[in-house]
Amino acid sequence: MLTKIAGGDIIDPVNGRLGKGDLWISDDKIVAAPAAGAADRTFDAAGCIVMAGAIDIHSHIGGGNVNTARLLLPEQHAAHQARPATTPLSNAGWSTFQTGCLYAKMGFTTVVEPAMSPGAALHTHLELADIPIIDKATLAILGNDDFLLSMIRDDASSQMIEDYVAWTVASTRALGVKVINAGAAAAFKENVRTFSLDDVVPSYGVSSRKIVKTLQAAVASLGVPHPLHVHCNNLGSPGSADTAAATIAAAEGLPLHLAHLQFYGYGTEGKRRFSSAAARLAELVNATPEVTIDIGQVMFGQTVTVSSDVMRQFSARGSAQPKKSVIHDGDGNGGGIVPYRYGKDFYGTMQWAIGLELFLLIDDPWRVFFTTDHPNGAPFTAYPALFELLMSREARTEMMAGLPKSAMALSTLAAVDREYTFEEIAVMTRAAPAKLLGLTDRGHLGAGAIADIAVYRREDNIAKMLGQAAYVFKDGDLVVQDGEITHYRWGKALRLNPSPDKAMLRRLVDYHQQRYGLSLDWFNFPDSAIAREQPFGEVACRT
Amino acid sequence: MAVAWIGNRETLVERAAAHAAALLWSSRCPVFSLDTDIHGTRAAIALAERVGAAYDHANGAAVSREVALFTDKGAMTVAPGETRRRADVVVIVGELLQIHHEFVGELAETVPDLSAKNQREIFLVGSNETSAPRLSNGRTATLLSCGEAGLGATLAALRAQWRGRQTSQPVSNFDDFAKALAAAHFPVFLFSGDATEGLALEMLQGLISDLNRKSRASGLHLPASENGWGSALASTWMTGFPLRTGFARGFPEFDPWRYDVARMIAAGEADLHLRISSSTVQPQKKRNRMALIALAKTQQPVAGAAVTIAIGDAGVDHQAVVYSSRTGSLRSVEARAASELPSAATVIRLVASHVSAEAALPC
Ligand SMILES: [Zn+2]
Repeated sequence: MLTKIAGGDIIDPVNGRLGKGDLWISDDKIVAAPAAGAADRTFDAAGCIVMAGAIDIHSHIGGGNVNTARLLLPEQHAAHQARPATTPLSNAGWSTFQTGCLYAKMGFTTVVEPAMSPGAALHTHLELADIPIIDKATLAILGNDDFLLSMIRDDASSQMIEDYVAWTVASTRALGVKVINAGAAAAFKENVRTFSLDDVVPSYGVSSRKIVKTLQAAVASLGVPHPLHVHCNNLGSPGSADTAAATIAAAEGLPLHLAHLQFYGYGTEGKRRFSSAAARLAELVNATPEVTIDIGQVMFGQTVTVSSDVMRQFSARGSAQPKKSVIHDGDGNGGGIVPYRYGKDFYGTMQWAIGLELFLLIDDPWRVFFTTDHPNGAPFTAYPALFELLMSREARTEMMAGLPKSAMALSTLAAVDREYTFEEIAVMTRAAPAKLLGLTDRGHLGAGAIADIAVYRREDNIAKMLGQAAYVFKDGDLVVQDGEITHYRWGKALRLNPSPDKAMLRRLVDYHQQRYGLSLDWFNFPDSAIAREQPFGEVACRT
Repeated sequence: MAVAWIGNRETLVERAAAHAAALLWSSRCPVFSLDTDIHGTRAAIALAERVGAAYDHANGAAVSREVALFTDKGAMTVAPGETRRRADVVVIVGELLQIHHEFVGELAETVPDLSAKNQREIFLVGSNETSAPRLSNGRTATLLSCGEAGLGATLAALRAQWRGRQTSQPVSNFDDFAKALAAAHFPVFLFSGDATEGLALEMLQGLISDLNRKSRASGLHLPASENGWGSALASTWMTGFPLRTGFARGFPEFDPWRYDVARMIAAGEADLHLRISSSTVQPQKKRNRMALIALAKTQQPVAGAAVTIAIGDAGVDHQAVVYSSRTGSLRSVEARAASELPSAATVIRLVASHVSAEAALPC
């Protein structure tokens, strides 16, 4: 079937296509305008902007910890429940079903769950498979697991480490690798309560830095397109900007991605010894081309923090609101769930301002990624409001007027004039994520790309415009019209599939038998366990 | 072999499914009780949504106590693998289900390889009547009891004594326990909601929290029902809520009292009961006039059921995904003795296909 999206303002930075024109789709792919022949269907996009479907590189949408957060907080859903039920599970609040629908309505067509515990890979993929419409992907967590730490301690060859990383990525069906407070979860099990880049995990004698550098090298050498995704040490603490700066410096020319930099943008100035270090970090990022970051923007209101940084979550237990939390010591990282409310007080305001400063002071939209670290900084449903803050200085000024002056005085935000353009938004939320993840088939509107397309009707209210797409196409299917879901379908989980080394496989069989008393079969699963047609889509490693 | 019945009359599965769908469609207040794998649960919840049913686990009370620990208070927990590799003190809290005894035996036979201590001491919180898992090499768990006191009160006394407070009745062998804890690197408390009242679970978490002020400790959740906990997890991701959720108003509502299916049946609120039991059926006497649809591994119609459809046992007759308390996560299991019997999920989807609905999203 031939589809024409007619007369929209096309914004496709990858192919240098900017301006009024038509976009053609044949079945599930974007095609060049046909020389002859008429469209089977035409959508009028006059007065609209047309972009590729958006890609979220870091949003906690499924898996053990996310589900535990749902379990801990049944009251979180109450607010979603009052609308009439016209579609299956449509009022289910923060469910897998709603996750797919709400993302699609905003024009997002691919979302990465960045913290899959390898031992919970099947659980994670079952949840992701129940998220409709969009494509998904996961990053597998390594760096607190005994197998890796033991190999590093024992000076295993880089080849062996790569074999283990490849086996983990392949068996968990991941698209990349993440390390979360490297070594800290292992150290916490031995009663260590704070952990920095050059601290050493007891019993292993391995530093956090060594773990990060080892994994960074293995990921690069294996040709995993996405650089090692790093959640640094000391998240959330005053002075954590020093840790972030040290980690940026540790990239040393090889690609490295730092997650939710906002949570490390904290200096120790002012009488509360908590200030913005965003300008300093932005300058470092600007000067370090091998580093990419995402923000983890804070937006005001109730949310829940979900993190595999179990040491940090344990220390944040006291600030839980409502007063309950879950702390889990897992096989590798485990995790912690702590509900939290970002108020318009000094601290909440600082965090809000620091995120925006980073967005606006980092120059290159190819290296800064749009996230709230859902749900840690805010639920992803806050995205439209966040787009507005980035694209409108006036919206920021209006917001700042209602915030404590004591906090704004410690931030440079009020002095920043920059407003993101639609072209920069298209880079940050489409082109750059596709490049970062190695997904050549999306993030742009060139011929041959899959037809993941978001069409937004222009209006002054940016939040409304980008919050309710006029049309969204996923693989060529029209799934959203005028901000409402018109068609349900199942997406895929995108994964790498490096072939595992046989000797490593034998080692792992022995290891699981000896240490856990279980055959490796207990942890593996066939694709058929997901019980959907084609649950996975394969992405190539770089050669 | 017959696989479906309407009343006592043998029929085709297709026809039985259509009849079940008609009963569900005309029911005013249908309730489901589940004892099935993950895909059976997913299919059942999708059907519940279409027909406005409430659902619960077959042993709803115990699963609900475990769920309530999380929804009301939260918890500190540890993975079973870490327990095996790290726990130098293991404390069994109350009576554990038979299915967990093998793992406890394994803990008794092994030493923690990730602990400097290289040995494991085992305690049991309970009374003289508490039956403990049999340990090998003649080992016995050291009993921590408080006379006639129940588990909650014993845990409260244990916690108070650990904090150095006076208690009306001291806990037996407390000094041994205190000594073991003082030397321990990672004590782990094994708990379940089966024989443990909710308050005891909270008291236990209070003790674990106290211990974590200065050193490490955690709790290993050994669920009262593996299928029950698996269903609770799947329900939580699909609807946002655990079991005891109902679709009476068209959208999911979680209410552990109102949607207690056993209570709804006893109170006469429910008028149709869909019972899904992937494991071998325990024939239950039907004590009321409410219609019953039974999906069970059976070779004959379930007594009194309006519809009976035979299903296979998950992981025996067909491949399945189940919760495994041994790994603390979901696990894929191959069919141990593959048969023609359909899975619960297959039969439930067949029933759902006969329920008229505009619903566009098959699960
Ligand atoms: Zn995150």
